[in-house]
Amino acid sequence: MVEMESAPAAGMRVYVAVWAGLLLIVGVEVALTYAHLPTSTLLYALLALALTEAGLGVMYFMHLKYERRALFWSLIPALIFVFIMMNQFWSDAYRLRSLHQ
Amino acid sequence: MSESEMSLALGHGALVEGSPFGIDSKKLVMWLFIVADAATFGALLFGYGYLRVGSPNWIRPFGFIPTILNGMVMTAVLLTSSLTMLAAVSAAQTGRRAAAVRWLGATALLGMVFAALHLREWFNLFADGWSPSTNPMGGSVLFGGTFFGITGLHLLHVLCGVIALLVVALAFRRGRLDASHVETTGLYWHFVDLVWMFVFPLVYLMNAR
Repeated sequence: MVEMESAPAAGMRVYVAVWAGLLLIVGVEVALTYAHLPTSTLLYALLALALTEAGLGVMYFMHLKYERRALFWSLIPALIFVFIMMNQFWSDAYRLRSLHQ
Repeated sequence: MSESEMSLALGHGALVEGSPFGIDSKKLVMWLFIVADAATFGALLFGYGYLRVGSPNWIRPFGFIPTILNGMVMTAVLLTSSLTMLAAVSAAQTGRRAAAVRWLGATALLGMVFAALHLREWFNLFADGWSPSTNPMGGSVLFGGTFFGITGLHLLHVLCGVIALLVVALAFRRGRLDASHVETTGLYWHFVDLVWMFVFPLVYLMNAR
């Protein structure tokens, strides 16, 4: 069986720190939910925190930080582009809302 | 093994270029699957946002107790399962086969706990009159469809992950699979965890009373 060299990954100490950070972010998310923020402010705050969690998870837990940069640049920009393109439908959602009001 | 050595190891002395990404093919394929699956969950979450914005009578049914608290526990369980998965990968890569199998078992167990908490929540919602097409609180019936659709697809991923973890643990213990298989399975498991990092705030917290 052919095996590739494993990328040098972080140790368990780093993983535990990231895990604790992720738990802390979840706590912040719940606190923000009950801080009576406007809905749009809450949404943007939760999205920013979720993206931070995803970034930490992908880079450390999934080891993308320790892989060749070619892998990152081949995968992540394409995915971000897809998500950006999905945003073009919001105007139609607001049109639908105005029809029902 | 270096890439040139690997090229020779492919047999017949043929010179084959190494991967431009420096990873083996199963890991690359898992990454491609993850990107495609991320787009699927992204589309579902965008669809949920679309219906929510388009529905002026959207309701926020979730109280802190039991739903949000239960969601917090589920999140902590899933995050912890990622940590045990990392321990399994680390043990497998350093040749500690028995420890790797134990950590894989712990990860699968945490996955089962997550699924059990999720199903308990679902059955409580069913008992309260919720379903994918009914809303006992009045307002848009689309809430049930989006909630059960998104969380159901994620739960399906968790259950598939638990099965994969158990299969890989058994095969790894018998020596039929190696550390790279454990690492590839770990990629999938971490992805399932990361999807939940979007589902919990967007589907649970944004619907908290």
